[in-house]
Amino acid sequence: MSMPDAMPLPGVGEELKQAKEIEDAEKYSFMATVTKAPKKQIQFADDMQEFTKFPTKTGRRSLSRSISQSSTDSYSSDSSDDEVSPREKQQTNSKGSSNFCVKNIKQAEFGRREIEIAEQDMSALISLRKRAQGEKPLAGAKIVGCTHITAQTAVLIETLCALGAQCRWSACNIYSTQNEVAAALAEAGVAVFAWKGESEDDFWWCIDRCVNMDGWQANMILDDGGDLTHWVYKKYPNVFKKIRGIVEESVTGVHRLYQLSKAGKLCVPAMNVNDSVTKQKFDNLYCCRESILDGLKRTTDVMFGGKQVVVCGYGEVGKGCCAALKALGAIVYITEIDPICALQACMDGFRVVKLNEVIRQVDVVITCTGNKNVVTREHLDRMKNSCIVCNMGHSNTEIDVTSLRTPELTWERVRSQVDHVIWPDGKRVVLLAEGRLLNLSCSTVPTFVLSITATTQALALIELYNAPEGRYKQDVYLLPKKMDEYVASLHLPSFDAHLTELSDDQAKYLGLNKNGPFKPNYYRY
Amino acid sequence: MSVQVVSAAAAAKVPEVELKDLSPSEAEPQVGLSTAAVGAMAPPAGGGDPEAPAPAAERPPVPGPGSGPAAALSPAAGKVPQASAMKRSDPHHQHQRHRDGGEALVSPDGTVTEAPRTVKKQIQFADQKQEFNKRPTKIGRRSLSRSISQSSTDSYSSAASYTDSSDDETSPRDKQQKNSKGSSDFCVKNIKQAEFGRREIEIAEQEMPALMALRKRAQGEKPLAGAKIVGCTHITAQTAVLMETLGALGAQCRWAACNIYSTLNEVAAALAESGFPVFAWKGESEDDFWWCIDRCVNVEGWQPNMILDDGGDLTHWIYKKYPNMFKKIKGIVEESVTGVHRLYQLSKAGKLCVPAMNVNDSVTKQKFDNLYCCRESILDGLKRTTDMMFGGKQVVVCGYGEVGKGCCAALKAMGSIVYVTEIDPICALQACMDGFRLVKLNEVIRQVDIVITCTGNKNVVTREHLDRMKNGCIVCNMGHSNTEIDVASLRTPELTWERVRSQVDHVIWPDGKRIVLLAEGRLLNLSCSTVPTFVLSITATTQALALIELYNAPEGRYKQDVYLLPKKMDEYVASLHLPTFDAHLTELTDEQAKYLGLNKNGPFKPNYYRY
Repeated sequence: MSMPDAMPLPGVGEELKQAKEIEDAEKYSFMATVTKAPKKQIQFADDMQEFTKFPTKTGRRSLSRSISQSSTDSYSSDSSDDEVSPREKQQTNSKGSSNFCVKNIKQAEFGRREIEIAEQDMSALISLRKRAQGEKPLAGAKIVGCTHITAQTAVLIETLCALGAQCRWSACNIYSTQNEVAAALAEAGVAVFAWKGESEDDFWWCIDRCVNMDGWQANMILDDGGDLTHWVYKKYPNVFKKIRGIVEESVTGVHRLYQLSKAGKLCVPAMNVNDSVTKQKFDNLYCCRESILDGLKRTTDVMFGGKQVVVCGYGEVGKGCCAALKALGAIVYITEIDPICALQACMDGFRVVKLNEVIRQVDVVITCTGNKNVVTREHLDRMKNSCIVCNMGHSNTEIDVTSLRTPELTWERVRSQVDHVIWPDGKRVVLLAEGRLLNLSCSTVPTFVLSITATTQALALIELYNAPEGRYKQDVYLLPKKMDEYVASLHLPSFDAHLTELSDDQAKYLGLNKNGPFKPNYYRY
Repeated sequence: MSVQVVSAAAAAKVPEVELKDLSPSEAEPQVGLSTAAVGAMAPPAGGGDPEAPAPAAERPPVPGPGSGPAAALSPAAGKVPQASAMKRSDPHHQHQRHRDGGEALVSPDGTVTEAPRTVKKQIQFADQKQEFNKRPTKIGRRSLSRSISQSSTDSYSSAASYTDSSDDETSPRDKQQKNSKGSSDFCVKNIKQAEFGRREIEIAEQEMPALMALRKRAQGEKPLAGAKIVGCTHITAQTAVLMETLGALGAQCRWAACNIYSTLNEVAAALAESGFPVFAWKGESEDDFWWCIDRCVNVEGWQPNMILDDGGDLTHWIYKKYPNMFKKIKGIVEESVTGVHRLYQLSKAGKLCVPAMNVNDSVTKQKFDNLYCCRESILDGLKRTTDMMFGGKQVVVCGYGEVGKGCCAALKAMGSIVYVTEIDPICALQACMDGFRLVKLNEVIRQVDIVITCTGNKNVVTREHLDRMKNGCIVCNMGHSNTEIDVASLRTPELTWERVRSQVDHVIWPDGKRIVLLAEGRLLNLSCSTVPTFVLSITATTQALALIELYNAPEGRYKQDVYLLPKKMDEYVASLHLPTFDAHLTELTDEQAKYLGLNKNGPFKPNYYRY
């Protein structure tokens, strides 16, 4: 039952995998400072550059995490704290427990407020708490987790606790932890080992503290990036005897699991929540549809009506971008390599062109192909004055930015994330986020998307924990469609949407269970 | 889980089994590499069996439970995965108006004489349907269970207007006819009509550039050289283009009709004239039907090595009568849901002894049959029947699958206020994110101006709903057969039916309230609008490529199983249609292809990609 096809990066070599990691690096290097306030955004381009100066190994810690746009926001607590490593500190929470390690337990109150705000926007998890209150579907579950530690994750963790689980948690990224939130979790009795700005050594120490505990052995793993799983494999293989399942969130982690599975070394069931329908649609189609306009507006204040835009690639991301731009009255061209997607673009009313056919006339170039060097120096040379170039797709490979680092071109940073590249004849090209992902660099991720991710994780844990013996073998599974549907249904109330129920008669006619699943597995949505 | 999925498959028109896919690029093209994977990755959710992969591949679609009028009507219909077979032709509407005039097209209500040509034909179509119901079940069956592809049904609409009047009553079987080259290896109504038919074919060729491009591209190599194809499809100008394309690619063809009414006599004559052994005429009897098929298959010194089938009758006949023939047959290409279903059953029973290709479920074809086609036809159908304006009208669309998505997009673009009802939370969430209010039907039923059903379900609009609608509300069905609106419940004494024009009934309540019911609850897009040739072109191209693929596949690539069209072929079908849009596909550079780990010529996406 090896499933090469099922892998998120089918038939793709190591090179691409590395590229993935770089991409994740891109995303999460921001994590440290990404903030809600536009002012703070200005800092992060610079931070970015510092990050890249880190020694490679540490640098890597900040990558290969979930591509889920999730968990980005935070407020920088950089300023305040002292320089003593949290590992050296003796801290106890108000109940006298010191089974945690965070920057400063005294910040708990601030963190609690953040969590409460996040709860407002994550009604799906809250309703999950309510619905499952009686049964406690996770009673007896001992979950060890390794994810970004943000207010949203905190809501997830507290939901898991409310459903009966015991949790121990560490951060999957050395920069992304919100210290206040970690403190609030510690105060509430969750064993959290994480702070912002861990060293490589700290990172593994935290994971180890989660796993290696006298008298407590994990029976579920929630991982984001695969490091926790890796550590347990390496150090405590015996732990797997008791483990009922792994839930993995990120592309990288899922990729690692498939490799393990292929090598026959996976000894517990694992659930790939990255590829669930609901999550995929929200991470790509809907999220990009929202953020493309936001990102462009924030950086350039451009008006879209009547502007000519070329979007490279018509996958989920491209479809989202095009829909948004079309709605604002932009004239949209598409480039595609896949004839099926190209035909979809045609039927959706977009002109399918080759890039060099329109490059002289367009006002905005947006890449979302997942490919590299889609916009080359040659294209950039031919663009008209003040053409805007940005990337929504993949890492920083799509626009050949390095080719712009030549002596005859002048770079001028006009504001954070916005560079003017000036040709000798005075022509300017507006390059956004230096070719990195626009939606991560220059816009925010709606909590709704984070809520989808967190709910999917919670349901995957419940499913794996409660599955009868033998339902899941030692393999990597997709979230069952029924669960996927449940995630969706938990989010419908935010739209005040009223789902119709099948009558018995109708269910019989269709041969469906009234409660789903409603579609066969291969259904394309 | 298995149970649900099973019939979900039936209802959703696609048998589960076809997850089996195959990518020709894979070293060992064994069946469902991907299949197993997908299956494996989707374990049963609630209490199903743990071994997801295996059952996924085995699960056959189960017929809709025999409760519907469908089953009652004919055994054959019962065998059919309901949504599918009925999608296009829905002979199940229970009330049958009595008409005389046999099977010939009788010109219908005079009311529409001023209507444009197409409309007129459409109208005939509906009446024709009603006549079908009067036929003995067995013959009645002949007219159904064919391809759901909008493709083949279209035949009716473009159906020969010339024929009806002219011809004599002698059965073509009794006639001695020769074409201009002296051959009499055919049987059509009247070979003299060839010229008219040729004109029809030439018109169709204009609109099917993909097949013409295929002819050109493959001219040198003749990928079907040596292929002996026996076919059984609707015989229309579009199929004729397909057939002649196959001929141009080197194949020998013998052809019969898969439907006793759908044959265009002129086209058949034109094909016979140009040397194709065609055995088909409009208005065959059950006996004629099988006789034609037999004449195609049973020839001295000619044995087919490929089958192109639409509905599975040809395959069935060969199995029954000439099982030995399968020794030489390289593969079956099947177009319709019904036929595919039969093939899966054969395969499950271990009786399938050649590879078969399910072209019904290719991405391109599915998108065009459902999403795009319905997006176009909903407005057309409503306009033609009611001449209404859409701007600001409140519309409720029941169901947000491919058909529902198409309808909503079109209506939204016209400025309508669209509500959606859904049972599947994922589709419901999609509707929300696309900006539609998700409601239950009874929450909005009092206020809406139009109700459109596209659920594939039954009794979605009940008498209770109908009672509560406001005056002048339009009710129509885009989904499935005639089950979605409970029309039977309107046949009560207190309600008055008034036919205001063809396909449009006013149902009048005692208090004077009128409901406008379109096509008596049958499929609006079939009854009241036309199918674009572009869609037919997609289907025909897919068939041609499937034949080429099966015929040229190296020994062992395909086993005795039912396969989906390889993604690469699917992509090729799409690419052949891009010139119509003057669309310019970008090519990967070597470097980019390497970076992505893709072949420059595709396939470009993994099998599970959702598009």
